[in-house]
Amino acid sequence: MSAIESAPEASGPDFGNAPAGRSRRRLIWLAFAGNRAALVGLGGLVVLIVAAIVGPMVYTQSAAAADIFSLNPDSWPAPSHLLGTDKDGIDILARLLTGLRVSLGVALFVELLNVLIGVPIGLAAGYFGGPIDFALSRIADALFAFPGLLLAILVAGVFGQGLGDTWGGLGRLALVTASLALVSWPLMARYVRAEVLSLRERDYVEAARAIGASTPRIMLIHIAPNVVGLVLTASTLDMASQVVNEATLSLLGLGVQPPHASIGLMISNAIGVLNINWTESFFPGLALTMMVLCFSFVGDGLRDALDPRSLR
Amino acid sequence: MIVFLIRRFFGLIFVLFAVTFLTFLIGHAAPGDPIQIILGFHYDPATYHRLRHFYGLDQPLLQQYVQYVWYIIRYWNFGYSYQYGGRPVATILGTALPVTFTIGLSALALAVVIGVPVGVYAATKRNQTGDRLSMAAMLVLYSVPSFVLIPLVVGVDIWLSQHRYPSLPVANWGTVQQAVLPILVLSAGTIAYIARLTRTTMVGMLREDFIRTARAKGLTRRRIVLGHALRPALLPVVTFLGPAIAGLVTGTFVVENIFNLPGVGFAAVQSIESRDYPVVQGATIVVAVIVVLMNLLADILYRVLDPRIQE
Repeated sequence: MSAIESAPEASGPDFGNAPAGRSRRRLIWLAFAGNRAALVGLGGLVVLIVAAIVGPMVYTQSAAAADIFSLNPDSWPAPSHLLGTDKDGIDILARLLTGLRVSLGVALFVELLNVLIGVPIGLAAGYFGGPIDFALSRIADALFAFPGLLLAILVAGVFGQGLGDTWGGLGRLALVTASLALVSWPLMARYVRAEVLSLRERDYVEAARAIGASTPRIMLIHIAPNVVGLVLTASTLDMASQVVNEATLSLLGLGVQPPHASIGLMISNAIGVLNINWTESFFPGLALTMMVLCFSFVGDGLRDALDPRSLR
Repeated sequence: MIVFLIRRFFGLIFVLFAVTFLTFLIGHAAPGDPIQIILGFHYDPATYHRLRHFYGLDQPLLQQYVQYVWYIIRYWNFGYSYQYGGRPVATILGTALPVTFTIGLSALALAVVIGVPVGVYAATKRNQTGDRLSMAAMLVLYSVPSFVLIPLVVGVDIWLSQHRYPSLPVANWGTVQQAVLPILVLSAGTIAYIARLTRTTMVGMLREDFIRTARAKGLTRRRIVLGHALRPALLPVVTFLGPAIAGLVTGTFVVENIFNLPGVGFAAVQSIESRDYPVVQGATIVVAVIVVLMNLLADILYRVLDPRIQE
């Protein structure tokens, strides 16, 4: 979903193709570093992550309350408020920096959940097949039956109503993360399952089985390491979508609640005052687009670099 | 084809069950007692029990589910709203669906009508400036989420109106002009995806042997591209229509809520905020079922268009 033709390609184990003196890891890095878009994306991500972590500590304007001594709503960028203020007179840069934390944090935790849920289930379904595989496929079918974000909208909306301001807004964030993971882990499980289906038929797995390796050992030592590249690529590409998904939920009023900041919330508030100050929606939109592009570029770079065929 | 249809039919039954059951469960697992929320300060036990009975909430959960689904199938009755004095949900959906359908299907049509020609153009100019420029534009269009695009488009529109140039209305529903901006914004991402997809398959198609044969026969470039290559190159686009519709659904939720269009997405989000779960349930189920059916239709269309696909 995140980038055009983004289904990660099968990346199997690749032994003995590395020229002397160059480790596989180094070859992967060289392939990644040779991709200009991927490097730009990586640089952009580093900047965004540093801004999200350090920004709110350095830039000390409040992200939740207006400066009551100089109430100045919808102001344009100026030295006192670097990106201006929103319709409540709250500093936009401060809100944007906390919004970045929310976007990146939610995307990261959604992927963590995807990996924790999707990878073991995909491994089991692919390796054992049979009833486990059947059950997984049916659960995935049921969750995929809801188009797009519909199920996440339903879950975040219905359960969010009773949540109020639990844990200072963190309860809402946890719910958003959980509902996004709910609709995206089946995809991860499917990728892993497809990969494991081909891996388990390889000669080296057969050999491991022949010398008496136990099933857990084959799965963990021989198969799991070979899906790491796939999982990493799929997660990175998916983070681009999750950043947008979180913003969508917040924009619809089902995610982060005011006075807490989220990029989606900022945009929905700013659209109403578009005729007064267009920069209010421009900067959050720019930040969001940058995040999407950076994750897509890095994900595409990873896909090209980790694909063993390009190592030869 | 028969085997395929039968298999898809059973898949359809399962999916319909999953959608209705999950939606029903979530609606009923919602925190808070809906009847108490309706009554608020006007609570009295007699009214409370009467309303509980009216909404069927005094029955076992499974029985409520079976009855819910049965009433939908038999009477097109989705239950009654907790708000608006218990209006039937079917009536609310009946006024909202045409709006969503209009903008959703127009956006899909627009995406195909613009996306395919752009893709074909780029493929015929492969690696030339026209290709590079149009594909870069499409990449941007694809990466920019609709709600980032909306302020840009609406901002330009507001600027036009402030400077007394012709401009379009930016909210509400009822006239053709009011539908233009929402449809444009909604279709942007899909246009971009279809253009890029068409270009990829078209480039591959133009390398095929039968294209070389056609060129050797001395056919014009135009006839080769439009007469020979286009039809097979469109098959992946047809396959994409299913996922495209699913993506447009989330899009309509966003667009309807920003532009104040009285569609299903607007009704659903409003109802979530007022804890009107029967409406939320009904909207979710109707939207999901429509998308499932359209997916099936796209699948069948694909098989009709490509006779090579066999069981």
